[in-house]
Amino acid sequence: MLSPSVPAEAPADLVRDLYRLSDPALSELGLDQFLDELLNRVRDALGVDTAAILLLDREAKQLVARAAKGLEEEVEQGVRIPIGKGFAGRIAAERVAIFIADVDHADILNPILREKRIRSLLGVPLIVEGDLIGVMHVGSLTPRVFDAEDLALLEVAAARAAPGIERARLYTALEREHRVAVLLQRSLLPRGLPDVVGVPVAARYLSARDEVGGDWYDVIELPEGRLGIAIGDVVGHGLGAAALMGQLRTALRAYAQEGHGPSRTLELVDCFVQTMPQQPMATAAYAQFDPQSGKLALATAGHLPPAIVGPLGPRSLRVTPGAPLGAFPYGAAPEQELTLQSGEVIVMYTDGLIERRGEPLELAIDKLLELIREASSAEEACQLAFDGLVPPEGLDDDVAIVALQNAPVPNALRLALAADPKVLAHVRRAVRRWLSEYGTGAERSGEIALAVSEACANAIEHAYAPGPASFELQAEVIDRDAVFTVRDWGRWRPARRGNRGRGLRIIDAAMDDVRLETTPTGTTIVMRRRLGAG
Amino acid sequence: MRLADVDFTERDGSVIAAVRGEIDMSNASALGDAVGGATPGDALRVVLDLSRVNYLDSAGIHLIFRLRQSLRDRDLELAVVIPPESPANDALRLAGLMGRMEIARTLEEALGT
Repeated sequence: MLSPSVPAEAPADLVRDLYRLSDPALSELGLDQFLDELLNRVRDALGVDTAAILLLDREAKQLVARAAKGLEEEVEQGVRIPIGKGFAGRIAAERVAIFIADVDHADILNPILREKRIRSLLGVPLIVEGDLIGVMHVGSLTPRVFDAEDLALLEVAAARAAPGIERARLYTALEREHRVAVLLQRSLLPRGLPDVVGVPVAARYLSARDEVGGDWYDVIELPEGRLGIAIGDVVGHGLGAAALMGQLRTALRAYAQEGHGPSRTLELVDCFVQTMPQQPMATAAYAQFDPQSGKLALATAGHLPPAIVGPLGPRSLRVTPGAPLGAFPYGAAPEQELTLQSGEVIVMYTDGLIERRGEPLELAIDKLLELIREASSAEEACQLAFDGLVPPEGLDDDVAIVALQNAPVPNALRLALAADPKVLAHVRRAVRRWLSEYGTGAERSGEIALAVSEACANAIEHAYAPGPASFELQAEVIDRDAVFTVRDWGRWRPARRGNRGRGLRIIDAAMDDVRLETTPTGTTIVMRRRLGAG
Repeated sequence: MRLADVDFTERDGSVIAAVRGEIDMSNASALGDAVGGATPGDALRVVLDLSRVNYLDSAGIHLIFRLRQSLRDRDLELAVVIPPESPANDALRLAGLMGRMEIARTLEEALGT
């Protein structure tokens, strides 16, 4: 046993270097980088060939090689030393420094130390607040007598480094948990938003600085071209809240897809929540939008009122909220119907976005309205809200926002569409909506939408390799005629018996004039139909 | 979102496939497969009830022809229901098939009851 004494002549810069190892900022390097940096400095300071750190595995009562310089195999092979056995094990058990002048004759458990032909070893325990956390040792390939000064240096390094290791270790563990939580949270939120022609939507989610939470948003395609948007907030934080959020989001989405209205959908989610063993509480708002009529139906369960901005100015909807989900057995949420005017954007958000300690809620809502009043799109509304209310360092609460716009119908439609049959229903709705702006009657509108859909179906059939898998639809009014142009970049294929021919026949019969132009690079069909109320 | 749903019921040996929604290129062939698959060998006939279909185009017409052929191969007859006021008539009329296809106006008419 050696008795250390701090050498008066310890180089000032070395002590400073070692001191820096306990710098809290260093711990954010993560454990691996931290240990790497530590061992490099120790090896240089002591002029040794090897330096290694073994950390205590409390449950197994073993030391596990965690980082090494000149002894990298020790870590790669995951060398484990039982407490009390061998060189490092004895240091750990007795919590004392041990010096071995000639390794060959000592009881060395670690085969790597023997294979490397290390001649002399010096090791010290790593202790934090009275708890042993590991062992650090250095070695020399030539016989060396480690003196009191060497020991003092190693002990200074150990004393300085141990808290840093513990912090880095804790940080790494926390970081891993946080990463898992964030990953889970992300996987429970929508992966993408539906792309519905004429109804742009946007959303943002930001988890709290330190923890994930239970906020969620959703955009749901509904029967007959309607669109649902939902927002919610499960009370609580952490993985549990995130997991509950995932269940509530799924439940709401499933009921909504069944075609239930907002009030009934929230009621069904509430019934579902009441049966959950965790007895969660949550607030939520759900709205259904019908692009054909501009009608919006809305209900909230204890959730903040949505905001509407647009050409008519900003307003916060006065909704009568139902009880939060899970609060009372019968917490009916009354349904409110309103019209979303052309160009207007509805914005739903969670309290994390606006609530600030000491600020009245009404003021906070006004502040939000002021920030987003100039928004001309769903995307812009989300961006303005985040830019104005979320500081760069993040917030203590998680934040979700989702927005939907009743986009103004343009004079001329110009749509770039994926060559996927699923777009056809969207195309028909967009065409009908566009035609309604010109006062076109239902029958004429139906026939035109049918013909345009047939032309688009042809374009989709053409779109096979090598052309790009997309096509274009354009609609404009020329001399009181609605003129539709469908352009693809595929090759015209001879009509299959029946089906294709029938489609062209329908187009011919529904339109006043049809021109088909086929070139080696693609096909363009131009269709005209006189506008009118009939 | 599914563009159309289909419900099956059996009545006096007839399989009634009631479609609700829209029929186009995206779902016509899957609907045809579903109807063919849901029809047992000992059924007398299939009624394709399009009363609640609010859109039908050439892909839907093709579905009717194809289904009729495949059921005929199994010695089954197909009846199709489209009420006179249904928008589903647009495609039949514009394709020049009105009056050239056997279409029942109501489910009762198709079942002969």
